[in-house]
Amino acid sequence: MDQAKLDSLARGGIQAADALERFMGSDALLERFLKRFLEDATYSSLCQAVEAGDWQQALAASHTLKGMCGNLSMTELYDLFTRQVALLREDKPADAAALMPAIEAAYRRAADAIGQL
Amino acid sequence: MDTEQTQALQAAVRPERGLLLIVDDDEINCAILENLFAPYYDTDTAENGRAGLDRVLERQDDLCAILLDVMMPEMDGIQVLRCLKEYGLLEKIPVFLITAEASGEVMKEAYALGVMDVIGKPIIPYMVLRRVQSVVELFQARERLSNVVELQQADLLAQAKQIIELNKGMIEALAAAIEFRSEESGDHVRRIHDITTYLLTHTPLGDGLSPIEIKQIALGSIMHDVGKIAVPDAILNKPGKLTPEEFEVMKSHTVQGARLLEQIPQLRENGAYPYAWDIARHHHERWDGRGYPDGLKGDEISLAAQIVSLADVYDALSCKRVYKDAFPREKVLEMIRSGDCGSFNPRLLECFFQVEGELAKLYQHPCKED
Repeated sequence: MDQAKLDSLARGGIQAADALERFMGSDALLERFLKRFLEDATYSSLCQAVEAGDWQQALAASHTLKGMCGNLSMTELYDLFTRQVALLREDKPADAAALMPAIEAAYRRAADAIGQL
Repeated sequence: MDTEQTQALQAAVRPERGLLLIVDDDEINCAILENLFAPYYDTDTAENGRAGLDRVLERQDDLCAILLDVMMPEMDGIQVLRCLKEYGLLEKIPVFLITAEASGEVMKEAYALGVMDVIGKPIIPYMVLRRVQSVVELFQARERLSNVVELQQADLLAQAKQIIELNKGMIEALAAAIEFRSEESGDHVRRIHDITTYLLTHTPLGDGLSPIEIKQIALGSIMHDVGKIAVPDAILNKPGKLTPEEFEVMKSHTVQGARLLEQIPQLRENGAYPYAWDIARHHHERWDGRGYPDGLKGDEISLAAQIVSLADVYDALSCKRVYKDAFPREKVLEMIRSGDCGSFNPRLLECFFQVEGELAKLYQHPCKED
């Protein structure tokens, strides 16, 4: 993966060099899963669950997203989902919901960066 | 051990590539782990706990490790662990928990259940690889070692069996060689062995004796006449009646036999030795004390020596010998019952007559003389 791509992904909160190491240097595999991340329904499932106040569903979705972002080294989102999962576990749904704007903004930035690949 | 068995065991000893099962509902995580481990192991994935458990039960003999996520639909990782423990599989297959939620409680339960290691998500490839490989190698080495030990044990057992067979063969050969001198076939010692064994295993005479003791007595019975090697041919093969002097020489085969056995150090260490010695020396003693060489009486004569002396008489009467023809069965039984060949323990005779019908089958074909 060239430097321009790496920089572009970094602006989207994605530490691609880090993630590549996890994929044993396979650009193709990383790109495939980054694109898959955008198609994944879990993010919209989280938004719906928070809106509907279904906190169990929200926890499941947030946890799944945390795992994905961790593996893809999407550090900004990963940190946000980590906090959200913890808040939901501590039974603080209002605080967890309050993270949604920040999550949405980070998600947009990441999606833009991946879209440019 | 035959070739086929050896090959099967060698196959078991050979280190295998092994199957690594990844149980995780996170597709990315599965892909990362598969990609990481594919160069070293065959890999398979399952997308939830239940599917994972089914796969484990299906392929338990091929699995070298299981990587298990905790939070999964259907059945979570801890539930899977509990089932694996119940099946006793955690001792056979190392399980690694791969989790982002390494909370104190989950970790504590996982380790208590017998998980090998808990690895945090997102994974760090070189670390996961090393931690998993070390444990898999350990398990495989342990398995290999136990297979090698098993192989060696089988070899040793086969060798021991061979040595025992050889021993028995040598003893039979020695006894038969002596019989050949007295122009009998080797069948006599084999029948004495069989009659002794039969009386000890099918009548109350063997009560209180272990199967090993019975084997040792039977082995000892084979050597009852080894002392005849010290008796000159002219006496041993004399067709007519022996003179009193000749008879004294003939009688010495009992004492000579015991002495001969004393000279074999390896035999002295064998469990059959005390029986063999006693039988060789005392198989011509009689219940009323009129036998030889020691004139023992009644229970002074061991049961083993009593049985062999009766078997010896029975066999001698039933077959043609250099000094006599074979007697018909009725005549044999009458001679034994009336004490023509010396007196025997009444209890021994009772047991003998109970099973004589079976023993007589040994003589359905005329005794071989060649």
